[in-house]
Amino acid sequence: MSELLSRRALLRRTALGAAALLALEACGSGPRGPGAARALDIWVWQDAADSVQQAAVDRFNAAGAGRARLNRVPGDGYEDKLRVAMGSSRAPDVFFNWGGASVKEYADAGKLLDLTPVLRANAAFRRSFLPSVLQAGMVGDKYVGIPMRGTQPVLLFLNEAVFADAGVRPPRTWDDLLALVGTFTERGVTPFALAGANAWAELMWLEYLVDRFGGPGVFERVKNGDVRGWHDPAVLRAAQAVEDLLDRGAFGNSFSAVSYNAGGASALLSRGRAAMQLMGSWEYANQLAADPAFARDGLGWTTFPAVPDGRGDPEAVVGNPNNFWSVSADVRDRATAIAFLKTAAEDAYAEDLVARGAVPTTTDAAALLDRSADPAFARFQYDLVEQAPTFTVSWDQALPSAQATAMLTAVQKLFAGQVRPAEFVDALTALPRG
Amino acid sequence: MLWAVPALLFFAVFALAPLGIVAYLSFTSWDGLGAPTWVGGANWSRLLADRDLRDAAWHSLVLTVATWAFQTPVALLLGVWSAGRQRSRAVVSAVFLLPLLLSSAAVALVWKSLLDPNFGLVAELAPRLGFDDASWFSTPEGALTAVLFVLGWQFIPLHALLYQGGARQVPDVLHQAAAMDGAGTARRFWSITLPQLRNTVVASSVLMVVGSLTFFDTVLILTAGGPGTATTIVPLVAYRTGFEGFEMGYASAIAFALVLVATGISLLLVRVTGFGRMHSTREGL
Amino acid sequence: MSPARRVRRPNVVALGVLGWLVVVAVPVYAVVVSSVRRREDYLDGGPLALPDAVTADNYLHALRSGFPGYLLNSTLVALGVVALVLVLAVPAAYAIVRSGSRVSARTLRVFLLGLAIPAQAVIVPVFLLVSQLGLYDTLLAVILPTAAFCLPVCVLVLTTAMRDVPEEMYEAMALDGSGPARALVRLVLPLSRHGIATAAVYSALQAWNGFLFPLVLTQSESTRVLPLGLYDFQDEYGTDVPGLLAAVVLSVLPVLVACLFARRALVSGLVGAGGK
Repeated sequence: MSELLSRRALLRRTALGAAALLALEACGSGPRGPGAARALDIWVWQDAADSVQQAAVDRFNAAGAGRARLNRVPGDGYEDKLRVAMGSSRAPDVFFNWGGASVKEYADAGKLLDLTPVLRANAAFRRSFLPSVLQAGMVGDKYVGIPMRGTQPVLLFLNEAVFADAGVRPPRTWDDLLALVGTFTERGVTPFALAGANAWAELMWLEYLVDRFGGPGVFERVKNGDVRGWHDPAVLRAAQAVEDLLDRGAFGNSFSAVSYNAGGASALLSRGRAAMQLMGSWEYANQLAADPAFARDGLGWTTFPAVPDGRGDPEAVVGNPNNFWSVSADVRDRATAIAFLKTAAEDAYAEDLVARGAVPTTTDAAALLDRSADPAFARFQYDLVEQAPTFTVSWDQALPSAQATAMLTAVQKLFAGQVRPAEFVDALTALPRG
Repeated sequence: MLWAVPALLFFAVFALAPLGIVAYLSFTSWDGLGAPTWVGGANWSRLLADRDLRDAAWHSLVLTVATWAFQTPVALLLGVWSAGRQRSRAVVSAVFLLPLLLSSAAVALVWKSLLDPNFGLVAELAPRLGFDDASWFSTPEGALTAVLFVLGWQFIPLHALLYQGGARQVPDVLHQAAAMDGAGTARRFWSITLPQLRNTVVASSVLMVVGSLTFFDTVLILTAGGPGTATTIVPLVAYRTGFEGFEMGYASAIAFALVLVATGISLLLVRVTGFGRMHSTREGL
Repeated sequence: MSPARRVRRPNVVALGVLGWLVVVAVPVYAVVVSSVRRREDYLDGGPLALPDAVTADNYLHALRSGFPGYLLNSTLVALGVVALVLVLAVPAAYAIVRSGSRVSARTLRVFLLGLAIPAQAVIVPVFLLVSQLGLYDTLLAVILPTAAFCLPVCVLVLTTAMRDVPEEMYEAMALDGSGPARALVRLVLPLSRHGIATAAVYSALQAWNGFLFPLVLTQSESTRVLPLGLYDFQDEYGTDVPGLLAAVVLSVLPVLVACLFARRALVSGLVGAGGK
């Protein structure tokens, strides 16, 4: 009710006509939606992998512990819609998100259910998830998220046939990578497919480069609210490396019109018109859905190479530790929501994830990996994440939304050649404080 | 007069009152979750100093002027031509009208796939027309041109219809008299048709200008403002600031400034051209 | 060149018209042809080539992925908007035309003011209002603001149409002892039916094509309207451009059918206030 009152106060203070006030008073006393009889409203990011969540909902409904409805929300604008809904009277009961930083604003506004008591009361439930990943679903000292998909490190994907034709091997070092750029551009193949219409796809390059040049501490400092962290020399060097790649034609000359959600970048890779793509591990599932033959036989992968004089560990990983379910604070039926969260720890759920090429972050997932659609890929990811000294969360997920939006604009300008690296760094330090 | 009250009330609640709230929100800081806090003129001074917004205003201006310069002659040509009563002209005009049947979302999505530099129509046409590839559309100038063209493709039929209607109201007597004086088609167009279409030109121009300043669905889907910020226009900045950055206060300041400018320009156009009554317009067009 | 016969004269116009014909027809051709191709053929063969094999799968797939539901929602929204607009705008226009000049001019000016308010400028408060009303993510959430933003044009169109009703006919009605309500039903409605049709078609199209209000004010699949459905297909389909284009073609069909039945009203509705 406090939210309602404050909004009413807002409207009083505005010099509105009597008519508007009248109408709004009427709204305040109007019905606030039906009661607990409704099914649990669950939002998930719509993509090729959401059949796993649909199966979980189906099993949950069949078991009779409660009723749930899965709402598959289109990915482009998922966060915007979620925010809008969270600010309205129709917040989803349970929703997909990227963990701690991505829901911090909701938690701060008191819109999330604290799951700490649930995990504390259920040791078996808590122990079924890898502790480090469960931790990525925390805001402050509270658990607000339950891991619900596979881990999603960003990897360097490649088209093996294109590599074989050129007689070259995947890059281990930055010099290797630059040499490959030369080789492929000469052969008329775009070295890297880049979905330049999506700023987050461009951002991945900077996330890895900053991590390799300066280690995870650079972004950690920014994330903790110190914008001067952007002045670290590693950020400038990363931006210069991007500019160098652009000058060498590493991304071709039409990347800015290529969209990831529309599948453009992945098609370039699978059709052999590009040799590599830096992308989250979900690329595999998307290729599997769009072009199964290529996903099984033609798709290769490797880690992001080391850079000269880099202070970061070449085994460090960036990306999304996992996705999470969070529960809205004004959930209509708390018990049903918590019962549903437990489906994420079930064996059947993990098996579905594995069958989809994902690597679950449940404790006993390792044993399931051989049953994966591609055991080699699953094993590679699992080992990578397990051995990585750090797992830096995607910057746009880790920063408050106002800052993230401005940062993505700056990134797009850098890749479009509208700003030089030094100006890019200046733009970052001038980001609005969320 | 009582009969107008329900409509007025409804309009006030869903259009005028929101505009008042926008004015109020422009003096607050609000993230969409909690309550707005009063920040005085902070958003407005930020607005004046915002370089990205200034770039966007420049793009909006360029797009508006170019839209007018591109759409008006083509629409005039098509409209006047199709005003002829010949059967063949009616059939061809029906083809011209096809883009009007598509929603903005459909137009933008269709052109997004046609303009795809790797798999689209332009990728196929470019080599045949002597270009190396279709990457020009990924340059800032190319993308802005693409936006201009797609908006033209979408809206020229509408303006052509306006001109067609106008041209059909030009009395035939005038043309017959001029023809007897030996005036050719071109001369008759300049000295009879065009002056007679003056009101239509003004109405169409106001529509185009206000439309180009405020319309953004097509740009959002087609280029999302890219490459970089090359096609980012003011309404897109307002939308992004509000619904991606969730700085609702600042977004409201941008939106309100946009309303002021659009209203000012359309009033100015109407006043300058001495066109007393706006004949028609479409919201968001 | 013979000065007597200016053979080249009409060519500028003809070339211009022909040029635009190509500009419109080629994309339309590419859309239709691509929508019946398989995805692989499209990626390898490009959008222009005639397909080796024609397939209806894209259409079937679009029909299976929620399209009929979107169609129903769009139709409901369009009907709702038209009904609401007519119920509000017809009496309003009648009042403006029939009452004292100062008040009516002022009323009209209030609506004209609305012409310059773009929908996205007020989207934040409209969203607030709708969520306070408990209407977020319902079709009514789209109908109400869309109808409000149709009112200015429709009131303008209807006042123009009703002004054309001759004064003597009102006087004749008054002599018969008819009140204003009777005059509206018996006299004004029949005589301004073209204006009413224009307003109805205009509102229907605004509702049918509206993008921003549904984008912000609705969410779930059960309230998705066509333009939004298309926008979302884009994500769902990935590089399946043929699938997307098939959905576009399907979304045009209802308008095309309506067009065949009511071309004149549709055209004047498109122009907004053109129907004279």
